[in-house]
Amino acid sequence: MSTPEQLAIVQSKFTTGETVVIAMEAKLCQGWLKSTRLIAVVNKGSTSALVVLITSRNPPQVYSDLTIEKILPIDQDFQCNIGTDEEQQDVTDVFLNVTCRKTRTIFEMRPGIAATNLVSAIFQAIDVYQKNKNPTTDFLWIQKLTGSVRSLDISGDQEETISDPIVDLESQDINISRRNIATGKTPIAPRESVVRYQMACKEDDYTYTKNFRLFIGTWNVNGQPPIGITLQKWLSCDEEPPDIYAIGFQELDLSKEAFLFNDTPREEEWRHIVSRSLHPDANYEQIALVRLVGMMLIVFTQTAHLPHIKNVCVDTVGTGIMGKMGNKGGVAVSCTIHNTSVCFINAHLAAHSEEYERRNQDFADICARLHFSTYAPSKGFKDHDQIYWLGDLNYRITEMDAFRAKQFLAGGNLLPVLKLDQLEQQRKLGKVFQGFHEADITFKPTYKYDPGTDNWDSSEKGRAPAWCDRVLWKGEAINSIAYRSHPELKISDHKPVSSIFDSQVRVIDVAKYRKIHEDLMKKLDKLENEFLPQVTVDTTEVIFETLRFDEPCSKELIVANTGQVPVEFEFIKKLDDASYCKDWLSITPYTDFIEPGQKCDIKLEVRVDKRSAWKLNSGADQLYDILVLHLVNGKDIFITVTGTYERSCFGCSMEALIHIPVPIREVPAGRIMELENSKNLSQDPYSVPKEIWLLVDRLYRHGIKTPGLFETQGLHSEVLAIRDWLDVGSQDAMPGSVHSVAEALLLLLDSTPEPLIPYNLHSQCLSATASYLQCKQIVMQLPEIRRTVFLYICAFLQELLNHTQDNGLDAKTLASLFGSFFLRDLPRARDDRIHRSRTIQPTFDRKKAAFVYHFLINDQSDFIGR
Amino acid sequence: MARDYDHLFKLLIIGDSGVGKSSLLLRFADNTFNGNYITTIGVDFKIRTVELDGERVKLQIWDTAGQERFRTITSTYYRGTHGVIVVYDVTSGDSFANVKRWLHEIEHNCDVVVNRILVGNKNDEPDQKVVLTEDAQRFANQMGIKLFETSAKDNTNVEEMFMAITREVLKTKKESKERQATKTNDIVNLRKSTKQHRKRCC
Repeated sequence: MSTPEQLAIVQSKFTTGETVVIAMEAKLCQGWLKSTRLIAVVNKGSTSALVVLITSRNPPQVYSDLTIEKILPIDQDFQCNIGTDEEQQDVTDVFLNVTCRKTRTIFEMRPGIAATNLVSAIFQAIDVYQKNKNPTTDFLWIQKLTGSVRSLDISGDQEETISDPIVDLESQDINISRRNIATGKTPIAPRESVVRYQMACKEDDYTYTKNFRLFIGTWNVNGQPPIGITLQKWLSCDEEPPDIYAIGFQELDLSKEAFLFNDTPREEEWRHIVSRSLHPDANYEQIALVRLVGMMLIVFTQTAHLPHIKNVCVDTVGTGIMGKMGNKGGVAVSCTIHNTSVCFINAHLAAHSEEYERRNQDFADICARLHFSTYAPSKGFKDHDQIYWLGDLNYRITEMDAFRAKQFLAGGNLLPVLKLDQLEQQRKLGKVFQGFHEADITFKPTYKYDPGTDNWDSSEKGRAPAWCDRVLWKGEAINSIAYRSHPELKISDHKPVSSIFDSQVRVIDVAKYRKIHEDLMKKLDKLENEFLPQVTVDTTEVIFETLRFDEPCSKELIVANTGQVPVEFEFIKKLDDASYCKDWLSITPYTDFIEPGQKCDIKLEVRVDKRSAWKLNSGADQLYDILVLHLVNGKDIFITVTGTYERSCFGCSMEALIHIPVPIREVPAGRIMELENSKNLSQDPYSVPKEIWLLVDRLYRHGIKTPGLFETQGLHSEVLAIRDWLDVGSQDAMPGSVHSVAEALLLLLDSTPEPLIPYNLHSQCLSATASYLQCKQIVMQLPEIRRTVFLYICAFLQELLNHTQDNGLDAKTLASLFGSFFLRDLPRARDDRIHRSRTIQPTFDRKKAAFVYHFLINDQSDFIGR
Repeated sequence: MARDYDHLFKLLIIGDSGVGKSSLLLRFADNTFNGNYITTIGVDFKIRTVELDGERVKLQIWDTAGQERFRTITSTYYRGTHGVIVVYDVTSGDSFANVKRWLHEIEHNCDVVVNRILVGNKNDEPDQKVVLTEDAQRFANQMGIKLFETSAKDNTNVEEMFMAITREVLKTKKESKERQATKTNDIVNLRKSTKQHRKRCC
């Protein structure tokens, strides 16, 4: 949003006098969600506001693309902090943390010039407000804008998207943008930060306030050692013992050693005397001591509070010579009392009457440079709920001569002098201590006295009296009880000052905290569970009625994404299976993505073919499979696939077939299984399976002279008809053309569990191809049934070759064809691509053909006769 | 980035079909109950984060199909499990009798260190209860595991049961960590002594 055109569109939402200073895109962070907004700084006269707009198009093109969602007036309630997400170091996004009317809003912005400009515009607006302190009536223009008038041009269906998320932080449930999350448009914030953020939002629900009495004291001791004095008159002059003491000293030691080496015995001397002068009615523990040259701050707490004071850390800022040295500057202690963060700062600002601007600068430097790194993310001084600022701030009175001032003061008339106090003047101008408060001063200036007396400075310089030593505070629920000086302590040219506060500290109700935290965890768990991939399937039992050999059948499985997120599914292998499904089943697609609300049709196709039929016949396998439908990062669903297989001679072994004298359908499945496992064989088996004989006989009778027999493809439907004719038995003639019959014969040979010549003899066969005699010897070794079938088919092929003139066949073609069936290779696994390389395979095929060739051209009558 | 949890444990719920495994999970994770019986055909999980002695424990709880025909498949999900919840139905003697088989499955399929807990669910209709608490308790004692009688329907003892198994898993983890620590100490000591020994030799 940098172009003038776009700025003009935003401007069009406002009337004259309301000027859009700057606008840019930012992400509004609400719990888990980050959604795009435009944020703009708009001013009217000397008042400004931060405006949050929803844009239906990005970037917005016309007036109606924009809706004003929220307007936050930049007034005394407005707070703005900048931070980067330190948890994620790779992300350098800028976070704008806005608090207004007790509601926190976080925006995430891309770092860059635009962000810098926006931030500086906001801070400028804050500065302007601090100067003018506009009454609330000046902000009335905002109310007009947030009224319904502005949203008239928004059609009703958009209302959902403009429900007010900023005011109602409770409604951070994801109703609005689930779709966005699902499509990955909205990144889900890390859970830990969500918890922290949500707990911070709900702080009021699990905390109650407890009053803490704070004693804040400051004294410039002018380098004097604490010899022969006690501090009770300063530190324990009240009846009630304070809960917390924060005591600051300046000019603790004016020696060169202290300045150069930051080392002084005074530290311990003063610490000791302070600890002995604390209120006698309570026990105290020191929680922190910090010193920079002559500035020292000690914080004590009543022992009972010690377990509730955490995150104690200290920092120092030197603003002296070269803006670095520690003769001037500030020392600070930060800690968390129960659930309230508190910062104590003891400062010694630049001296000399006319140097008030230098003092202002010191204040700003201390503010900017104080940094408490033990916190994560680390804190600046502004990030505390309560800030107590004490010290020798050195602001003087210059607009009245010392003599007149002393006259007023002698008469107990402080006001005319106070009016001219530089600090008072500078604060009114908004130059320093913005947002701080100070109690009314009712005590005489604390500077400058002749040491040991209550007399004003009588030296040559004759310095004018001044309220150098002050206590200010910033933060809510701090009530000033007393603000006074203690002239009884006379060793220094300054008098000590003290302030008593009753401050409300937020205390965590552990039971309530647990409850809320637990509820929050449950809510997040619920969300996390809801965001798990979720699908339903239309059935988990896919039943195929009747399946026949080589006759594919398919069913559909519908997987519907009923969850909130896109689903990636995949059928996965179970146990030690080689594949995610049995080899008679194919699944398409077996993996895919489904968007929420969408579905995917999965085709399950069962095909019992020459590879799998024999397993079903022998009982090595059954038409039963459990598929595991796995959702990536989610659950698994089991899909059971079953079917009834109609038994067929295809897939039976020669050994089994010779024992079956009737069509195979008339034989119970159990019997086939028995025969396949060579159990209970019949007494007089056929020498050749009747199916082989029937097919060969058919070819012999009707196809012997057919040109291109075994070279022409049959029809699949005819092959299936021949299958049924063989399996069921029929009085009719065998159906189909001779080509289909030829194909059926080959298929029968191809679907047996093992090739006609058993695998274990293959390498012998292939190495014997040079010698017919050796080949013959191998055939002699074949089991009887195999040898018979082998020779029977070879004899038939020889017969075919006797009719070469008609059918045009030649021995080489037939040898190569039948070689590939008799010496069929081991089936390849589904994903096995290597098997045999392409260069080797032809050699094998040639050898197989050569082996069979011998038996097609040599007379084997001697063989058959045996 | 700060982690969401201090420990992440995988729990597994097993037991006969229809004893209320899914209902227990639903009660614990979502605090809901649905009287309609829906057989779990597959393996599902839900998460829940609990706080135990100030530590955040994220539980990933797997609910398995109890049907016999899925038993071999579900056994593959036992791997990497920290705690197993064996559920029976107090109104079904068969489901209790089968607990032994389920414990056997754990022995077979789980990693060596796994915590177990025995749960008699549907403990809400005293009239129909057939598995007596004393019998179940005796059996649990024999097996050296804790027994909980729960009702996912009435929400009794469910939270307590899950917390108990979580506590045990956490305890086991801490003990094994300690053991490992002492082990490494031993190794160091051994090395030290050999060094000294060598010195003397020289």
